[in-house]
Amino acid sequence: MRRPDWAPDDIDIERPSVARMYDYYLGGSHNFAVDRAAAQAMVAAVPEAPLMAQANRAFLRRAAHFLVDAGVRQFLDIGSGIPTVGNVHEIVQQVAPSSRVVYVDTDPVAVAHSQEILADNNQATVVQEDLRHPDRILSHPELRRLLDLNEPTAVLIVAVLHFVSDDDRPAELLRTLREALAPGSWLVLSQASDEGRRDTERSDAEAVYQRTGSPLWFRDRSELTTLFDGFELVEPGVVWVPQWRPETPESSVNAEASAFLGGVGRIGG
Amino acid sequence: MATFTQEWANAITGTSYLPMTQAQLKRLLDRLARQLAAALLAEPFDLRAGQRVGAELVAAHIASAEALGRTVEVVQLRLVRDLGLVAEDVADRLARLLAAVTTGYARALRDRTLDEQETIRRAAMAQRTKAERALRASEARFRHQATHDSLTDLPNRNLFTERLTAALKAPQRDTDRVGLCFLDLDGFKRVNDQHGHQAGDRVLTEVANRLRQALTGHLVARLGGDAFVILIERTGGTRDVIAVAEAALAAVHKPAEVAGREVTVRTSIGIVERQVAGATANELMRAADCTLHWAKAAGGGRWMLYDAERDRRELTSQALTAAIPAGLDRGEFYLDYQPLASLRDGRVLGVEALVRWRHPELGVLRPGQFIGLAEETGLIIPLGGWVLAEACRAAGSWSTTAGTPFVSVNLAVRQVHRPGLVQEVRSILRHTGLPPERLQLEITESAMMSPAEEPVRALRHLADLGVRIAIDDFGTGYSNLAYLRDLPVTELKVAGEFVAGLRAQEPQADERIVASLVSLAHALNLTVTAEGVETAGQAERLRAIGCDAGQGWHFGRPEPADRILARLG
Repeated sequence: MRRPDWAPDDIDIERPSVARMYDYYLGGSHNFAVDRAAAQAMVAAVPEAPLMAQANRAFLRRAAHFLVDAGVRQFLDIGSGIPTVGNVHEIVQQVAPSSRVVYVDTDPVAVAHSQEILADNNQATVVQEDLRHPDRILSHPELRRLLDLNEPTAVLIVAVLHFVSDDDRPAELLRTLREALAPGSWLVLSQASDEGRRDTERSDAEAVYQRTGSPLWFRDRSELTTLFDGFELVEPGVVWVPQWRPETPESSVNAEASAFLGGVGRIGG
Repeated sequence: MATFTQEWANAITGTSYLPMTQAQLKRLLDRLARQLAAALLAEPFDLRAGQRVGAELVAAHIASAEALGRTVEVVQLRLVRDLGLVAEDVADRLARLLAAVTTGYARALRDRTLDEQETIRRAAMAQRTKAERALRASEARFRHQATHDSLTDLPNRNLFTERLTAALKAPQRDTDRVGLCFLDLDGFKRVNDQHGHQAGDRVLTEVANRLRQALTGHLVARLGGDAFVILIERTGGTRDVIAVAEAALAAVHKPAEVAGREVTVRTSIGIVERQVAGATANELMRAADCTLHWAKAAGGGRWMLYDAERDRRELTSQALTAAIPAGLDRGEFYLDYQPLASLRDGRVLGVEALVRWRHPELGVLRPGQFIGLAEETGLIIPLGGWVLAEACRAAGSWSTTAGTPFVSVNLAVRQVHRPGLVQEVRSILRHTGLPPERLQLEITESAMMSPAEEPVRALRHLADLGVRIAIDDFGTGYSNLAYLRDLPVTELKVAGEFVAGLRAQEPQADERIVASLVSLAHALNLTVTAEGVETAGQAERLRAIGCDAGQGWHFGRPEPADRILARLG
């Protein structure tokens, strides 16, 4: 029998969660032994894994600053994970307190944690949904309550797309999102790439994430660029994330070690 | 100061994620460096300043083991030198200050770690509670879906059977009684056919709502289609269940609006009510279902009460009907013959063939016990065919002298209406060598009631062959005289009930009826045989009236042909 849509998710915290592993890479303690064991296995395979996560998080911070400076006041962060430090709402509401942020994650514990963090913030909310169901995200009453999609909105999909395989048709998912957005809206993407990586590193990393139930799907620069279809990429285009508008010249040295490609695009008009 | 701050910033960058810009980081470190410098020179020396710096670093998310290590290293190596601090015991003070920084840092980091562990555990717990609640809700929903009808949301057959079985299995007292009302809408198919299935579904929903409202306290379930059932537990007797059935009828028998038009809704109800002890769910359901069919057959729009005696009779009949084909195969049927005697001289004119069934378990059965069923089910065709063939075969073997009696065989309505009757009779006559004039076919008035022309034509054919045609039980049907004019009838058989009223002395209505029938028949050139003649007195009256022949116990009971033939000599 097919599992009906309204049937609840499995309760499974015995399995490592990519959201809590990411928290561990960033130096947080919002994780359990099972997550730390998986994260440590990842560090053994790819020693700079924590630096990759930090580089991504820093990219997210710079992109959020860039967008709020560009006048964007609505943010949809899909795959937000465990909101450790430096969340989108912290960054943008500090600059523009009227900014509204909707977080989306598929991990129920991450969502429960976000709900606690956001309990007192009526300008930010969290929705439990999967990037693979953009229609459900867009029609979710919480999103509709907080965001007016007739106004420019920034969609952030940072360090998540490598959990979406080509079988899940990422281009279609992004098109669905784009078509719901007003002109002047933005898309921020970053994802893991195996460009220049050794095969053993790649296969070891894949083995770790296979255990989490969220297997990795690497993409190269041209593949990621294609996913910006319908958006105009702003300078410097799709690059290693430390190279995206670095604060200091030296912070983008050895950028390919981050193993993450990212970019920011805008819908014209 | 700027050199030191830059060195410090460089040292800790990359140790963990820092949620701030480089400029913000430098501003923070600059402030902390100043606090450390001030502490080194302050009088009196205050270690708490060092602890505060450690705590501030953690609060600013500079919170990793590496960050602490590098901070200690940079401060130790560069703070005094870069800032040109001069004091007598500066090396000593620096060591103690760094110890205070690490203490404050470790304390703050520990607290922070514990806090974060607590929040994530709380989140996991909240999630688990939520998921468990959702699971319970979905289980309840699964259960509801499995036990309820999706159209009307009434309990479905599963739940009903469950509840009925439970009521039967665990009665509260030995004397507990239980009742069922089986409902089936009358003519519901017409609603579907005329207004479409959507309209039909609306009627069903409406009926379900009415029953639900009218019968609170009793389980009302939908069994499927337009069939519903009500379970009445702990009844005080039949009367309680009848009251429920009455309420159900009243609730259902109201017009419903379908597609803007009013549609009459009617239902039939079969009721069964009995002691719980010894009852099974299947048995009760079957009894209620069977009673429902009685209510339908009686015209619908009513309830009927289960009648065990009737059920038994019908069950026996059904079993008997089902056994007819095998009985024919196994040669369980045989014929007896009853004489038709001339009232003028007592001569045996003919014999009527009467079928018997030597049933392996029930013994010898008379036609009244199985012919009606055979007629209903169509089995009369093979059975009647066998009787005709067997009677002709027997009669064909009798001597062919002038006095030999004819054989009279009953034809059922279905046989008369069946195409190929003429063919069948002709072929039997040919095979048995029986002269056609020694065969009489008895048909009932009702066989002639249909407007179809085929049977009339067939009978004419048979009459043309020389076969005698008699109307059986004349006077009890519609006694339509018109067909007597059109049909090639040779004889009327007057029903025994008129004969029973004949008495020797005083002429009654019956006698006058028989007398006028006889004169009518004679006027039409037909002979008359009176059936059911039991006494010499009756025979005497009939002779006086002018009736031609008689049949009945007075002239001889049904018996094997050879005995009759033996008496004829």
